[in-house]
Amino acid sequence: MLQPEGPAPSLDEAAAKLAEAQAILQSSTASLPLVCLGDAIDLGADAEGGVMKGHGTMMAGEAQLQATVCGLVERVNKLVSVRALKGRYTAQVGDVVVGRVTEVAQKRWKMDVNGKQDAALLLASVNLPGGVQRRRTNVDELNMRELYQENDLISAEVQQINQGDGAVALHTRSAKYGKLQGGQLVTVAPYLIKRLKQHFVALAAPLDVGIILGCNGYVWIGSKDLVDAGGRDEDEGMEAAGPSGQVDLQLRERMCRVANAVRALAALGLPVHPPAIVEVCNLSGLLRVEIKDMLGPEFLAQVAYREADRRQAEGDAQPMDH
Amino acid sequence: MPGLSAAELSFLEGGIAQDLRNDGRGREDFRSFSIQLDVISQASGSARVRLGATDILASIKAELGSPPAEFPHLGRLELAVEISPTAGPEFEGRGGEELSAELGKALERSFAGGANGTGAAVDLAALSVVEGKTCWVLYADVLVLNADGNILDASAIGIKAALSNTRIPKVEVLAGEGDEEGELELNDDPDECARVSTAAVPLIVTLTKVGRHYIADATGDEEAQMSSALSVAVNEKGQLCGVTKRGSAGIDPSVISDMLSVARRIGKRLLAKVDAEISLAESRLESET
Repeated sequence: MLQPEGPAPSLDEAAAKLAEAQAILQSSTASLPLVCLGDAIDLGADAEGGVMKGHGTMMAGEAQLQATVCGLVERVNKLVSVRALKGRYTAQVGDVVVGRVTEVAQKRWKMDVNGKQDAALLLASVNLPGGVQRRRTNVDELNMRELYQENDLISAEVQQINQGDGAVALHTRSAKYGKLQGGQLVTVAPYLIKRLKQHFVALAAPLDVGIILGCNGYVWIGSKDLVDAGGRDEDEGMEAAGPSGQVDLQLRERMCRVANAVRALAALGLPVHPPAIVEVCNLSGLLRVEIKDMLGPEFLAQVAYREADRRQAEGDAQPMDH
Repeated sequence: MPGLSAAELSFLEGGIAQDLRNDGRGREDFRSFSIQLDVISQASGSARVRLGATDILASIKAELGSPPAEFPHLGRLELAVEISPTAGPEFEGRGGEELSAELGKALERSFAGGANGTGAAVDLAALSVVEGKTCWVLYADVLVLNADGNILDASAIGIKAALSNTRIPKVEVLAGEGDEEGELELNDDPDECARVSTAAVPLIVTLTKVGRHYIADATGDEEAQMSSALSVAVNEKGQLCGVTKRGSAGIDPSVISDMLSVARRIGKRLLAKVDAEISLAESRLESET
């Protein structure tokens, strides 16, 4: 199917290919319990035991549920809920997220994590540079800006979620969390990021780039040291900003390639996970596609086509989610 | 809306200095764009342009109106830009008014030409119906659906595409009796329409100055970093049809002359690309019907 040496497909061919591949992608997800706004939810045979309405549903008459959002039907025993496909990030405890400081407040940083409300990072739940014990004084509250400023990007973990108002508390109590620099952020829809064992991934050579797949859809692409097992150098602390704009050109090229691979996957609505990113990067190398052309319709068509091929080869449809 | 962190800004600037921007483009590269024609059925011509994540809708509405008093033999071209609140949180309420006025002015400077009709993007004399009484007024409206930088260039592409898609009904002037004025009869046969020649319609190339360098087709993030920008309208002959300087900081005159020649070079490439995209969109439209 793929001929790296062959002539590039024309825009028209690519568009047709894309439509075709999209159709295959869609047909493979047809078996999913997808509902649209206002759809009656098919409860199947076991509706007799009674159902409970969860998020994204409402009762419509006796023992009949209606969806109030478009998304996937999820069931836990009697509880039926609909998870919206496209929407803001819903936090779960333990999620790795990438957030941006929006406000330095009393004893906490307010962080934008693409959720319905800003998350809070308490001063008490960060590690100070060098691992020193924090003295609970007024002075260190006043010095909070030296740690993280407004607009800074920070990797963190969801510590807890308030049951009442859904407020999210974050923590950075590990050497691997903290301020992000020397790289770029790519924003994708949160549902494209699946929860993995590892969200800090070092892509192997020749890519040699570190990525942080924030569950909230914020993907950080930076140097590999950020992600390496040891995490950040404790002695260096978070103050080691350095002239991070100075990045080796080869490293920058690799970062841009990975970033565009993420953008390409997101543009096609395909899940963003390390093997997929590596595959798109390899495909671009194989086809000798320049980094800047990776977002063009021709290359997107190739990616979609390859994904469609892969899904067909897998025989029975693998659901897009889960 | 939160901005970028200091680390991201220096990374972005470093990339521009190394001629490798965050999405892999060089300093003079445009993002890939797509054009869709005839998207509004009530308009005389319309186009939707997606330039990266920037998404604009351009429509041309031809209406019969009165010609300018000083130049009775001409028609009129009215340009306007509206930024939809969906384009970004900063455009909510009246937030987009200032920018839309600025963009409208820049478009006028590039497309409208002089008061006597010279240098206009379309042949205004061809729009005249009855000299001094009636003429066609082309209302070119741009609606910004999503803003991710470089709205002006995308708008110019949109207007050019929408004009190429524009059909103006033929008008017959029936002779009046005696002193009475003649009546106008519109031909409502869709095949019997006049087309607008878009050969002279320029495109706009905006060069955004970030740090010591200038870049073409800046994204929203890059625009947040700009000190100033120069928008240059270039036509098919490679002539400059209008220059608008935006942003608060000044630009050195020697840099401006550099920017002009770079914009001219980029503009020529862009024109070829836009023409190809428009004909592609036309063939797609034909195959649909």
